[in-house]
Amino acid sequence: MDNIVTILIYGLLLGGIYGLVSIGLTLIFGVIRITNFAHGEILMIGMYGTYFVYAWTGMSPYAALFVVVPAMFVVGLLVQRLLIQPLLNEPMMQIFVTFGLLIFLENFVLMLTQGAALGIPSDNGPQVISLLGNKVSIAQIFAFAASTLIAIGLHLFLNYTMMGKAIRAVTQDKRAAATMGINVNRIFLLTFGIGTAITGVASVFLTPIYTLSPTIGGNFVLAAFAVVVLGGLGSVWGAYIAGLIIGVVEAFAGFYIDPTLKSAVWFLIFIAVLIVRPSGLFGIVGAEEVGFREQH
Amino acid sequence: MSSTSTDVEELPDAASASAGPIKLGPSKAQVVAQYLLGMGVALVPFAVLYNDFYWINILTFAYLMAGLASAWNIIGGFGGQFSLAHGAVFGVGAYFAGQMCLIYGLSPWLAMPIGAVLVAAIAVLISWPTFRLRGPFFAIATMAFNEVVAVFANYSETLTGGARGLLIPFRASFANMIFVERWKSTLLMFVYMAFVAGISVAIRHSRLGYYLLSVREDEDSARASGVNVVAVKLWGMAISAALTAIGGTLFAMFIRFLDPPTLFSLPEVGVKFALLSLIGGVGTIWGPLLGAALVIPLENFIRATLGGLPGVHLVILGLLLMLAARFLKRGIVGALGAIRWPRWMSRR
Repeated sequence: MDNIVTILIYGLLLGGIYGLVSIGLTLIFGVIRITNFAHGEILMIGMYGTYFVYAWTGMSPYAALFVVVPAMFVVGLLVQRLLIQPLLNEPMMQIFVTFGLLIFLENFVLMLTQGAALGIPSDNGPQVISLLGNKVSIAQIFAFAASTLIAIGLHLFLNYTMMGKAIRAVTQDKRAAATMGINVNRIFLLTFGIGTAITGVASVFLTPIYTLSPTIGGNFVLAAFAVVVLGGLGSVWGAYIAGLIIGVVEAFAGFYIDPTLKSAVWFLIFIAVLIVRPSGLFGIVGAEEVGFREQH
Repeated sequence: MSSTSTDVEELPDAASASAGPIKLGPSKAQVVAQYLLGMGVALVPFAVLYNDFYWINILTFAYLMAGLASAWNIIGGFGGQFSLAHGAVFGVGAYFAGQMCLIYGLSPWLAMPIGAVLVAAIAVLISWPTFRLRGPFFAIATMAFNEVVAVFANYSETLTGGARGLLIPFRASFANMIFVERWKSTLLMFVYMAFVAGISVAIRHSRLGYYLLSVREDEDSARASGVNVVAVKLWGMAISAALTAIGGTLFAMFIRFLDPPTLFSLPEVGVKFALLSLIGGVGTIWGPLLGAALVIPLENFIRATLGGLPGVHLVILGLLLMLAARFLKRGIVGALGAIRWPRWMSRR
């Protein structure tokens, strides 16, 4: 029984991390349907940014939020404007271009850092607290809290602001949205920017937890896509809950089966969801088709 | 899905159509002649360089990659389904042949067709759930599949030798597909490329080929015209996967060392097939071959000159991929086709 509680706690905290990583992708892939395979690498450059802000200023890594998040917003704008926007109606080329970006970013960072592993030493301040008798890292609790807050914020933004409504309208029908006076390209640009900025927030909260390497993005990108599909495309709550589910499943699978086989577990879940309920756990039925139909 | 490359033959205009029976595209004889001419040109570097120790390796690899890219192009280019599972398919083909050779002493010539059928069946099973859906689910699922196969390959010592890898002993003989003279391997890779290109030509001018193109161009219209969309995609995937697995066998017997990082790296294997196709011209017969002919030597050149910087060749490949997707969607073949040739050079 103690085992189960412990695994559950670790699973939920891990799920918080997956949720955090996935919420940016929920906006980019889930809502505006851009297949961004470079999501993990965008997270990776955010983490390196956080590390260098920390290393140069010596402040708490969380202070890097004020630098990294605006910078990532700009990165998002650039990626969308230069790479994605010209290919908005060509899903195949979007995959090519984001894969090019993935390969480029990963190896560019590898080239610059010469593959040295970087990490924030955990010797300043109390880092571990006790939760129901289990030692839990504070950084993970922060990540969990950030994930929850961002999910609430994004949900409110998408559903109760004019901009959020415009974003959803553009997803459903670009042309009708344009006739309603929505600047479609601007909405795509800002949404991609916001999605990347949220990924920037995620990267700041992940930096104290993980050791940095140029390939770290690869560890998250599959989980992020699995979370977005499992939660239901376009559903922020879905992604949040799905992140927790995947985290808990991974924790149990890691304990009872084998930790190295975790991606096999995600994959099975992913395929099962696509067969049984392609709209995901919390998506509107048919949501998986919206935005992928041909629009001229 | 909007068209990324349209090499569908133009319909003859009314004036020429009224002169005789309507002719759709080149005749069978023209197609065969073009194919033979292309393969003849592809054989020229071999004839020149077969004795050159440095170039023969690059050439061997270029032929192999040309065949693999051509195989990917059947589902990825003709069918417009972006598969990232081909790296896994390639790896499974390689491991299967390697293990059959090591454990049962089976000749790779026998393991090759068995592995190809096995792998095609796996590919169909993986693709079926996602082929019913629109959008990029197939790409995501196949990427996940590649990852899962890599994880299992690392995990299972008995199946793949795990992270230590498999070493196939050097026992040179035709039956083992292992040769003392390098040029024999090169010739084998050339035959493989010619085989895949031949199948690709045959498919392109067959009913299945036109179905695949119609699915790529507009799935709804294809379905409305009575095309069984899912079955067509599955056939394309099965053939493409089988050919890729054959390439995996050849690779296994050529390299004779198999380990998961070499076989399942997306940028070096799975995405490379797609990249070569894109740069040459995705969805065309000659595009993947041209892409390999250009990119593989280029890569070797970068490695040789800038080898001190880790990952530099991939930085450049990533850039190339982005630029090609952005500015050269129809690849070199498409760019050549768009040039207004002087009249005396035009094909018709």
